[in-house]
Amino acid sequence: MIDFLQINPGVWLILSGIICALIPNSFLTQLTRKCLVTGAPIFTAFMITQIFTSDIVVGGKISIAGIDLTTLRIDSLSMVWGYLFCLIGVLNGIFGLHEKCRITDSSALIYSGAAIAGVLSGDLLTLFLFWELTAISSVFLVWRGGEHAYAAGVRYLALHVLSGVILLIGAIIHANYNGGSYAFDHIGLQNLGGWLILLAIGIKCGFPFLHMWMQDAYPKASVTGTVILSAFTTKMAIYTLARGYVGTEILIYIGAVMTCFPVFFALVENDLRRVLSFSLNNQLGFMVCGIGIGTELAINGVVGQVFVHVIFKSLLFMSIGAVIYRVGTSKASELGGLFRSMPITALFCLIGAGSIAAFPLLAAFVTKAMIISSVIYEAHHNSALYVIAAMLLFASAGVMEHSGIKVPYFTFFSHDSGRRVKEAPWNMLVAMGLAASLCIFLAFPWGGYQMLYDLLPYEADYKPYTVDHVVFQLQLLFAAITAFCILKKSGLYPAEKRSEILDFDWFYRKCGLYIVKSINHTWNALDTRLSNATRNTYNTINKSLYGIFSPIGGFSKTAPSGLAAVMTAAMLILVLILVYFVR
Amino acid sequence: MSSIRKPGQPGKAMDKQEGIHPFAIPFLWLGNKKVIDRFIWIPFFGLILTILIGLLYPQKHPAPWDVVPGSWALIGFVSYSLIVLCAKPLTFLLARPENYYGEGGLLDPEFSVENVEDEND
Repeated sequence: MIDFLQINPGVWLILSGIICALIPNSFLTQLTRKCLVTGAPIFTAFMITQIFTSDIVVGGKISIAGIDLTTLRIDSLSMVWGYLFCLIGVLNGIFGLHEKCRITDSSALIYSGAAIAGVLSGDLLTLFLFWELTAISSVFLVWRGGEHAYAAGVRYLALHVLSGVILLIGAIIHANYNGGSYAFDHIGLQNLGGWLILLAIGIKCGFPFLHMWMQDAYPKASVTGTVILSAFTTKMAIYTLARGYVGTEILIYIGAVMTCFPVFFALVENDLRRVLSFSLNNQLGFMVCGIGIGTELAINGVVGQVFVHVIFKSLLFMSIGAVIYRVGTSKASELGGLFRSMPITALFCLIGAGSIAAFPLLAAFVTKAMIISSVIYEAHHNSALYVIAAMLLFASAGVMEHSGIKVPYFTFFSHDSGRRVKEAPWNMLVAMGLAASLCIFLAFPWGGYQMLYDLLPYEADYKPYTVDHVVFQLQLLFAAITAFCILKKSGLYPAEKRSEILDFDWFYRKCGLYIVKSINHTWNALDTRLSNATRNTYNTINKSLYGIFSPIGGFSKTAPSGLAAVMTAAMLILVLILVYFVR
Repeated sequence: MSSIRKPGQPGKAMDKQEGIHPFAIPFLWLGNKKVIDRFIWIPFFGLILTILIGLLYPQKHPAPWDVVPGSWALIGFVSYSLIVLCAKPLTFLLARPENYYGEGGLLDPEFSVENVEDEND
């Protein structure tokens, strides 16, 4: 008898995805598919509630080739990610109800299932399996973006598969140092395996110089695809960091850099989905930094931030996705004034923008503050961390710029582009409405944020709604908006222009490609020359042999019998001498 | 898709009332130039108010910069301005034509420079 409670709940979603992929296309099966897309995450969440009955539940133990695997582990940390991924799976399912695409539906289910199974896995090999499955299943969402997305999809797949391979190598080395145990607990940087696993996570998480896949692939995916993609991969990576690298000092600095550099790229970027991808990178920075700090307050802040971030970031991607669906572009230079024809989408986008900017009464206000406060508290003992705290405040002003102001302003307000389109389809509005409601509810001072705090892994006695916190946060935000108004009025705010903004991926998309092409060209030239030289040598040898042995060659000519006798005698003498010395 | 634009054509204005969503009608004043010009006073007064309240209720766990009154406002204003003022040099350094990588097809060809160039050819 199969014990269903021993099966990793993510597997149910993966199975649903496989069923979606196999059933043929018809109206009835489309309906079935859509029921699966929205229903399977709910069933998965139900399974998690059935399994998670105590502080930690471990199950699904199997042994393969002498290696013990724990395919299921649910505790207070992984449980949050499990529920969150189920929740966002439902929202994504509703958002994509209009899309009659088998590939999107099945990829979305397998991808979200792999992400859930990954965070609920108890060992590094199971994690590796689902790590790679997220990469393989999600690339179809990128490719659904169309012809322009093909190359980006290939790059995305290559980097993510590479990340998985590095993870596997790291896991093997790490297990060697730990008596052959593949248990996925604290990893740290004590051995090469730990460093390699961190590198693998760094690729998925968008560490500086490893982040480019995000801004390359996400904006090119389909409307629904981008929303789905933004939720899982990076947050799965944050989970692995929170599980394996809590309190690792280097993460503080990596996270601080991650919060700051995307701000500048987002500023000059014209494609609003790419702006949101940079914004995603910037938000991940806050989480990475919090994991580096590693105190209970910081980890609570990270977990809370992950929870609300997935919701408001999806909301922002959904609103821009709805705009693309109706208008056909997400370029800021082509948009403006859309609140006239898409007022409900505009309202939801404003809620998402306010949430990410951490306005009081909106989502990130109750979580991001925990991370910044934890840095400031730690800085009382280590004054160098004040620099990090200042960087986080700088990045908060940056968030206000690119996501709080730029995205809603250039899309829905700014100058009137004259476009009059229909409001977003009902299913998109429902999904955005639910996400927006959650953004408000999870920051609600009377019973809202407390529910969020109840999910956190440590007891949270943090009070976000104190006068000083509200007032100082508002100071920062009002100052940023005032600066925007002044810069806009004075003409110093840059006009949006259609362009491709170079990022670090230039090194492999242009420079690397040039090097590969040069090597290829040199190799081809060398190959041609080698072939010619070989052919010439063969011809020469052939000619010589033909000249000697052919019917017209030297050996075929008649020779005087006296010469033959002399030659035979000479050969006999040579043989005699040889035999004499050899013996 | 947008009802006003053909590939390669610049956006043309259409009847302002046509295609406006009923929910948006009470908020059309948001597009009024006077309202936009005067909007700055809302964050400005908010800023002054929060700085004044900040003097009465200082940070419970102050950072070194919190000795300056309105320090977070200053950080917000300076950071935001600095970020925006970096736009010009960054654009000069990093901006390239849309079809720079030439990967066959742009995200939204109807609105791309590539499309306009094709028509000119």
